[in-house]
Amino acid sequence: MENNAPVPKLLLQLISSAFQRCRLAEDLCRLSVLLDQSTERDPPITCISIADTGIGCNLEEFQNLRCPREFNGAKIWDGLLSVKTTCFTDDEVYYYHINLDEYIANKRLKRQPSQAKNGAKFSGTEVSLSVFGSMDVLVAPIIGFFQKIIVLQILNVTLDLMVKQGTSPGNQTQYVFAVNADKTPCFTASNLERLKSGLEDYVLRHANCLDTMCDYCFSDREHLKVGSGTVCQEDKHKRVGGTMEVVIVISDLLESTQHCSRSCNGKTEVLYFDNFLPSPVPHLALSALKKIDWKKYGLILANVNDQDGHVFLEWDNFPSYVQIQIALHWYHNQYPTRQKNGPGISLLKKGIKNALDNLKAKHEGFLLSSHSRKICSYVPDLARSIAGLIFSSTDLDFQGDCLSVLGFQTQEVERDTVENYIQRKIVTVIGMNERKPQKDQEAAPFLFFDGESETSFFEDEEVEGEYYSSSLE
Amino acid sequence: MEESSGLSSMKFFSDQHLSYADILLPHEARARIEVSVLNLLRILNSPDPAISDLSLINRKRSNSCINKGILTDVSYIFLSTSFTKSSLTNAKTAKAFVRVWKVMEICFQILLQEKRVTQRELFYKLLCDSPDYFSSQIEVNRSVQDVVALLRCSRYSLGIMASSRGLVAGRLFLQEPGKEAVDCSACGSSGFAITGDLNLLDNTIMRTDARYIIIVEKHAIFHRLVEDRVFNHIPCVFITAKGYPDIATRFFLHRMSTTFPDLPILVLVDWNPAGLAILCTFKFGSIGMGLEAYRYACNVKWIGLRGDDLNLIPEESLVPLKPKDSQIAKSLLSSKILQENYIEELSLMVQTGKRAEIEALYCHGYNYLGKYIATKIVQGKYI
Repeated sequence: MENNAPVPKLLLQLISSAFQRCRLAEDLCRLSVLLDQSTERDPPITCISIADTGIGCNLEEFQNLRCPREFNGAKIWDGLLSVKTTCFTDDEVYYYHINLDEYIANKRLKRQPSQAKNGAKFSGTEVSLSVFGSMDVLVAPIIGFFQKIIVLQILNVTLDLMVKQGTSPGNQTQYVFAVNADKTPCFTASNLERLKSGLEDYVLRHANCLDTMCDYCFSDREHLKVGSGTVCQEDKHKRVGGTMEVVIVISDLLESTQHCSRSCNGKTEVLYFDNFLPSPVPHLALSALKKIDWKKYGLILANVNDQDGHVFLEWDNFPSYVQIQIALHWYHNQYPTRQKNGPGISLLKKGIKNALDNLKAKHEGFLLSSHSRKICSYVPDLARSIAGLIFSSTDLDFQGDCLSVLGFQTQEVERDTVENYIQRKIVTVIGMNERKPQKDQEAAPFLFFDGESETSFFEDEEVEGEYYSSSLE
Repeated sequence: MEESSGLSSMKFFSDQHLSYADILLPHEARARIEVSVLNLLRILNSPDPAISDLSLINRKRSNSCINKGILTDVSYIFLSTSFTKSSLTNAKTAKAFVRVWKVMEICFQILLQEKRVTQRELFYKLLCDSPDYFSSQIEVNRSVQDVVALLRCSRYSLGIMASSRGLVAGRLFLQEPGKEAVDCSACGSSGFAITGDLNLLDNTIMRTDARYIIIVEKHAIFHRLVEDRVFNHIPCVFITAKGYPDIATRFFLHRMSTTFPDLPILVLVDWNPAGLAILCTFKFGSIGMGLEAYRYACNVKWIGLRGDDLNLIPEESLVPLKPKDSQIAKSLLSSKILQENYIEELSLMVQTGKRAEIEALYCHGYNYLGKYIATKIVQGKYI
C-alpha cells in the first residue's frame, strides 16, 4: 500500500484544482471523481477520472505537478495525464497529454486533436489517468478530503465520488457530499458565516461522517457554542494581503454520548484551510496554537499531537463530555494569485484569540480563567445571602426598592428568580472584568465610601503578636 | 516603616481622624444593612455594572493612632481613616467578601427578631449554614469585625453579645432594672459574673463604698483574694477578665470609672510582657476592636508585679521568657504609647530574660497577697 503513496497526493492536488475551478465559476457546478478498477488484470489497474464543470483550466496549474513513475522500486503509473478542457467562450474542447515525468517544458505537454463544440456553450475539464494497483488506498483520502472541503460550505459546488469495481452495477458505490440542508446559509453569506455553519455541521455530523446530525450526541444545535474571529492583513509592498478567519465550536455533549460510536476523548481536532482548500496545519499555526495563553480561558494545553499536519490538541483536566473543534482559514484577498505567502504567527494568534474572546463574550461564565471560575464558585452562596437579605426584610419599601433596582415590576416575584438574577448578573460582571484589558480595569466602586482615602490590600492573616491582641472571645 | 503615632504638636486635634463604630438601635443597624444591599444592587444593575468592593476600616497597626489626653488623664488607641479593600474578584479576599455578606444576613435576621446571640452561637449557626466558608471561631470573629468596620456600628448593635468572662466581687452593689440589688461581697469566692449584655450593663445601678478598684489578671488570684475577703481590709472592688479583657468587662470597668471617677484603678498582673499587654488593653484599648474599644479606655495604674518586687520572689520562681513574650515585648516597645516607667519595666524583663508569676508571692504564705497589695497602696507604689 505504502508504495502507492505519491498517487493519493497527486489525486488530491488534481481534485483541489478542479474544486477551485468550480468555486470560481459563478454557476452551479459539479465535481465528479470516478475510480474504476478493472478486475481482469493482475496486478489490477485503476482508471481515474476527475471531471468538473467549473471554468476551464489554464494548464499552468500542471506545470509544477510531479509524480514519479516508480516508488520503492515498483511501477505505480505511466506518468501520463490526459486533460480535456474548454472555457465558456471557447469553440472547441482542447485535448492534451501531459507527461509528468518529463522535466523539459516543451516536451512535457503534447496537444492532441481538439473536438468542436458545435456552438454549444459550456465549460469544464476532465483529467484522467491510470494507476497500477488496487483503488482501495485511494478511496479513504478522497472521502476525507471531501468531508473537510464541505466545511467551507461552498454552495455552488456538488461533490461526488463513484467507485466501480468491474462492470457489474452491484459493485458500484456512489458517495455524494452535499451541504447539510437543515440550516444552510444563503449564497450571499460571508465566508466566515459559512465556515461557522460548516464547522457546526462537521461537529454535529461527526466530522461529516454522517449524513445527518447524530441524535445520540445532540438533540439540537443549542448544545453548540460558537465563536469566531477575523483578522485582515492589508496588501503591502506588492504582497497580496489576506484574511485569517478562525471558528471555534465547543459542544457540551449529552450524557447519552457514551452510547455513541464516536468518542472524542476530549481531544481537539484542528482543521486548516489554505485558500479554500483543506491543508495540513502549517508549522507557524502550530506555534501559534502553542503560544496562546489558554489558561486565560481556563484551559490547560497538555500536548500538541501533530501527525503530518493532522493536528490534535490534548487538554489537562478537561471534562470528557466537552469537545472543542477549531477551524482556521487563511485566504488571499485576491484570487487567483501566484503568491503563496501564508499568515504570520501574530496574525494567527490574533485570530484564535479573537475567536476565543468572541465565544467568551457570547456565553456568560464560559471559558473563564481558573481564577474567575473559582470566584464564580462563590457566587451562588453570595447571591443566596443577598436574596435572603432582601426577602427576610419586613420593610416593604426596602423590598420594593431592591426589586425595582433589579428591574422587577411586581412584588410578587419569587425569591428564586431574584436569586438567580443576581447570580447571573455577578457572573456576567466577572466575565466582563476578565475581558477588559488589565489597564482598563478600574477599581470597582466602594459600597459606601468613594475610596479617596489611602487604601491597601486586605490581609487576611492577623499578624501574630502584633501589639497586644484584642480579646476575640 | 515609621507608623503614624499621632504624637503631633496639635494634640487637641490628634483624634480628628478617628474612625469609630456607632452604637445603634436595632432598626438603625438594619437600615445600614439595607443601604449596603441597595448600593450593591444599584451598582450591579447599572449600565456599567460592577461588584462593589467592601471598604473596611483598616484594623492594622499601621492605621492606629494614639490620643494622649491633655485635659483628661486617659490615653487611648484609635483607628484612623485608612481602608482595606475586600473585593470578590480578588482571590485573596473573595472568601472573606462572601463571609461578610453571610454574617450580615444572619445579623439582619437577629436584628429583625430583636434578639441577641453570642459569637459562639453565631459560629454554630454559620457552621451549619455555610460550612464551606466558616471553619473556625476565629473566622467568624474576624468576619464580625469586618461587618463592624464596614457598617461602622458596634458589634453589640449588630445583635451580637460578647460572652463575657468577667467577674466582679467586693464592696459593690449592682442593681439591674426591675431586680433586687446584688451585694458583690456576698457572692462567694467565685464572684458575680459580668453579663455580656452591654445594654443591661449600661442600665445597671452601681453603689459602692470602696476606695479602690483592683483588676486581677488571673482567675486563681481573684479567687484567693475574694475568698480571703481582702476587700474587708482594703475597701475595694475586685475585677478579673481571666486574661485579655473582653469588651463587656472593659465596658463594665469604664462604667465604674465614670460613675466613681475618684476611685483609682489598680492592676495586678504577672511580671511578663503579656501581663503588661493585658494592662495596656484596659488602659488604652486595642487595635483589633479599635472602632469601639477606644471608648472604654480607663486610666489604670500598675500596682504589681514590678521589677522592684523581684527581691520578694525566690530566684527559682523566675523562669526564662518565652519567644512569644519577646514578640509581645517588641511589639509593645514599638507602639510608642508606653510611658517612660513602663518602658523601663519592659526593658528590665527583656534584659534579665526572666518572667515571674504573681503566685510566686505565695512563698510568703497564702495570705501574703493581701498584705502585699495593702503595702503597695499605702506606699503609693503604683505607676
